Amino acid sequence: MERNTMAYKSKQFLMFAGPALILFCMVIIIPFLYGLFLTFTSWDGVSAEKPFVGFANYVSAFKDAYFWSAIGRTLIYSAFAVVFVNVVAFLLAYMVTSGVKGQNFFRAGFFIPNLIGGIVLGYVWKFVFNRAFVAIGEAISGGTTPSLLSTTGGAMFCLILVSVWQYAGYMMLIYVAGFMSVSDSLKEAAMIDGCTPSQAMRNVTIPLMRTSFTTCIFLSITRCFVVYDVNLSLTKGEPFFSSVMAAMHVYNKAFTYKDYGTGQAEALILFIVCAIVGITQVYVSKKGEVEA
Amino acid sequence: MKTKLKRIVALMTVLAMSVLLLAGCGGGAEGEEAQSTGNTSGITVFNSKMEIQEQLLDMAEKYEKKTGVHVEVYYSSDTVSAHMATRYAANNPYTLSMVDAKDIYALAEEHAIPLEDEEWVKDTDYEISIGDHVYGFPVCVEARGIIYNADAIKKVTGEDFDPEKYKTLTEWKGLIEELKKGGMEAPTGVMKEDWSLGAHYLAQIYEEQENPDSFLMDLSKNKVKLMKNEKFNSLMDTFDVLKDNNYAKASAISAEREISEKKLAEGEIAFMFGGNWDWSQINQFDYTENMGMMPVPQDTDDGSNDKLVGGGSKYFFIDNSANTSDEQRQQAKDFLNWLVYEDDGQSFLVNDCALVPAFSNIDLPISDPLGASVSKYTNEGKLVPNYNYLPDDHFAILGAMFQKYLAGISDRKGFAKDVETYWHTKTLTSHSE
Repeated sequence: MERNTMAYKSKQFLMFAGPALILFCMVIIIPFLYGLFLTFTSWDGVSAEKPFVGFANYVSAFKDAYFWSAIGRTLIYSAFAVVFVNVVAFLLAYMVTSGVKGQNFFRAGFFIPNLIGGIVLGYVWKFVFNRAFVAIGEAISGGTTPSLLSTTGGAMFCLILVSVWQYAGYMMLIYVAGFMSVSDSLKEAAMIDGCTPSQAMRNVTIPLMRTSFTTCIFLSITRCFVVYDVNLSLTKGEPFFSSVMAAMHVYNKAFTYKDYGTGQAEALILFIVCAIVGITQVYVSKKGEVEA
Repeated sequence: MKTKLKRIVALMTVLAMSVLLLAGCGGGAEGEEAQSTGNTSGITVFNSKMEIQEQLLDMAEKYEKKTGVHVEVYYSSDTVSAHMATRYAANNPYTLSMVDAKDIYALAEEHAIPLEDEEWVKDTDYEISIGDHVYGFPVCVEARGIIYNADAIKKVTGEDFDPEKYKTLTEWKGLIEELKKGGMEAPTGVMKEDWSLGAHYLAQIYEEQENPDSFLMDLSKNKVKLMKNEKFNSLMDTFDVLKDNNYAKASAISAEREISEKKLAEGEIAFMFGGNWDWSQINQFDYTENMGMMPVPQDTDDGSNDKLVGGGSKYFFIDNSANTSDEQRQQAKDFLNWLVYEDDGQSFLVNDCALVPAFSNIDLPISDPLGASVSKYTNEGKLVPNYNYLPDDHFAILGAMFQKYLAGISDRKGFAKDVETYWHTKTLTSHSE
């Protein structure tokens, strides 16, 4: 049988990737193209008619000040959350691979927040911020303490804190895998050559686990950019829209304000921003990766 | 040869599986469709009033036993319009959908059947018509005003509370001072929810104008200065009293609705701006029957301090698409008639769901005290009508601006400017009826 004919190759491809490809087209590609089409209409979400309006939706998306401030806010939130998620996850991973007693227990413990759905988690933390922290604050100061969630900066801080708490455990697992993939012999060799443990970490272990960093940073960036569930249940965008992230604004625009076309156009802009940031990050970090 | 055979078998298996997979998906969709078109007897009802979901489910069972018509009740916590959008996008609408007034205006012409030939039209003032056709069946009457706890007031003042005596802001303020002197530290509560502030309190400022429609038109054309508008100032004066005596003044915008309702039910506070729908929250707590609703006090002589604001709330419409059979449409019409004219239908609305009926032929006594107040004002014709044409983003955007005012971040001048700026971006069409 000829193995380099087109027919053979496409048969092989279809055999292995076919089912996944079909599903991917059905649930991602086709809705995406349909969504793209909707950005050129002034559809309200219910009507049977979808009047064609050209680029009007993009014009109003670019003029929508609330949208751009939501994008700006998302950038700030993502910057903080990505840094803290990864720093915390790395430290946790280091801790649970260093051979402390009961490290498996700790691994499971840190991972658990990730198993709770974002909505539930948001409500739990809302209770903690609004009741528990306020009660503690009042017990200490004696006066009335406003909840962190009711101040504009505070709501953002709470969002970042909860996201870090939620994602750090998941990223920790990837870093753990990274730590374990670095062979002990290499570290030992470094130590024999006179490295201090921190030098061995910096010059041997970390460069060898760069793939983990690439993966974790990519995952955390893309997740933070489209955060919605925690945003909805924890702050709902309050107070005064100061914690409305881009995804929430897009949802509101399309479904609550019934401006479907503009909302869809904004969703596309969000997708492009997110894709550019994500791809740049992967490209830059891939360049620096080393093979062991 | 053997390997080739193996490969062919493998290929066939994969193909068969992917075909099965596809058939599975396709089959599901077909099956569902068959159900919605083929199932001609029995109706589907969409409920958007969370507090009556249990009652509706019970009713559906009894209704089926009695009439043999199967009623399937659905509820969604999504925004009503968003939920309708998904059902229509999926081509799977409900026979009978309960939506808000604005959704009737948005949906009915395209998706509803005209109902002007129905008997109940003559017994209500609250149906929704567009052009020559009636599309919306009013489920109930709801109104807004100040909710009071008469027991809490009596406990401090020693006298029975008569809301008629406190129509003006001056008199009402006097009472609040008295309550404060008598030991009730903060006699009011303010709901910080954007719908309460934006869609209810702020909307009242438009609704109490002489002609809300032309007022908003002028506002959008920059012909109105709110700071010079009598109604705006008068209602904001009252709001200031609510705000200054708020039990949660220090953290007004993190006050939780449940807590405010609890305090009101148990008499820790005496007044809160709200509506008769709040009863479904209040009755979760250790409440007193001596509660009621009164008009928002104002120093004015235009008569608005004698009226609640409200009207029909939640409307049923019947789907006109090919997914619903004529038999189902008839069954839906029968169901609406049952609600209005049969004893158990009426009792379901008034006693089971504790709603204030929108039909003048229903004279059952209203069971909850807030509903009783609303019913009293309705029967006396003392209701300022709802304005149902506010843009969809109004409550959210101006609700947030109102929250800023509540939190003390902006002052009245700033808030007025926010409201004006919002309206300047809108191009309105007239809705004068």
